[in-house]
Amino acid sequence: MAEFNEFFVKGMALLGAGIAMIAGLGPGIGQGIAASKGAEAVGRNPEAASKVRSIMVLGIAMAETTGIYALIVALLLIFLKG
Amino acid sequence: MEFVIQIGGMTFQVHPSIVNWLLLCVVLAIFFIVAGNKIKKADPTKPPKGFVLVCEYLVNLSTGIVSGNLKSRTRLYLPFFGTLIFLMAPSNLLGLIGLQPPTSNLSVNVTLALMMFLLIQFVGLKEKGAIGRWKELTDPFILFLPMNLLGDLALPVSLSLRLFGNLLAGTIITTLVYTLMKLVMPLGVLGFSFTPFLHAYFDIFSGLIQTYIFFTLASFFLSESYADEEE
Repeated sequence: MAEFNEFFVKGMALLGAGIAMIAGLGPGIGQGIAASKGAEAVGRNPEAASKVRSIMVLGIAMAETTGIYALIVALLLIFLKG
Repeated sequence: MEFVIQIGGMTFQVHPSIVNWLLLCVVLAIFFIVAGNKIKKADPTKPPKGFVLVCEYLVNLSTGIVSGNLKSRTRLYLPFFGTLIFLMAPSNLLGLIGLQPPTSNLSVNVTLALMMFLLIQFVGLKEKGAIGRWKELTDPFILFLPMNLLGDLALPVSLSLRLFGNLLAGTIITTLVYTLMKLVMPLGVLGFSFTPFLHAYFDIFSGLIQTYIFFTLASFFLSESYADEEE
C-alpha cells in the first residue's frame, strides 16, 4: 500500500468529503414528498393556500437540517484536512 | 478588516464577521433610539404614517412569528425575541452588501442557541420545579435519562448548526463564484448575469427563512417548558 504521509491524508480527507455528501439524498427525497403533500393539500382546498404554504416551508427547512449536518462534515474535511 | 487587540501580553484577533456584528449592533442601536423617539411623539389615536408605520409593521411581523406558540405570554417574551429577530435578519442579509455575515461564524450561532437553551432550561426549572424536571427526564423509567437528556441537548445543537451551515454554504459559494469571475476578468463580467440569483436564493430567501425557523422552534420549545395548562 502507499505510505501514510500527508498526501495520503489529504486525499483520503477529500474522498471522505465526497462520500459525506451522499447524505444529500435524504433531504432531496424528504422535501420532495413534503412539497407533493403540500401541493395536494392546496389542490384540495385552494383557500387555505397561505396556511399550507407556511407549514410546508417550515417542514421543508426542518427536513433540510440533516443535509446541512453532512455539508458541515464535508466542509470541515475539506478545509481542515485537505 | 481584521482587528488585532493586545491586552497585556495576550493578542486577540477579531474576525471580520464579529466586527460586522458590532457594526450591526451600533447601526441598530441608532435605529432603535430614533424609532423610540418618533414613536413617543406620535399620536396614538390617529393611524400611523411614515416611519412609525414601518416600525409597527416590523413589530407585527415579529409578533406573528412567535405568537402562534407563546399564546398568552407573547407580551412577556416579545422584547427578547423581537430584538434578536431584528438582529438576526439583517445579519443574515449582510451577504448582499459584500460583508461576511456574522451568523456565518460558529461562535455567534452557538451563543444565540445557548441563550435559547439557558432560557428554556431556566423557565422549565422555575415552572415545574426540580422534582418536576427530574420526573420529565426519567419519563417512562430511569433508564431513559440519557436519551431524554440528549433530546434536550439536541435543540441548541440543531439550532446553531442549521443556521451556521446554511449561511456558511451561501458565503462559500458566493465567494467562489466571485473569485472565479475575478480570475477570468474581461470575460467574467458575464458572471454578473447570474450572481443576482445566487444572492436572491442564499442571502434573501435562505436567510429570512432560517430566521423564521430559528425563532419558531425556540418559541415552541419555550412554550413546551411551561406546564401545559391550555388543553
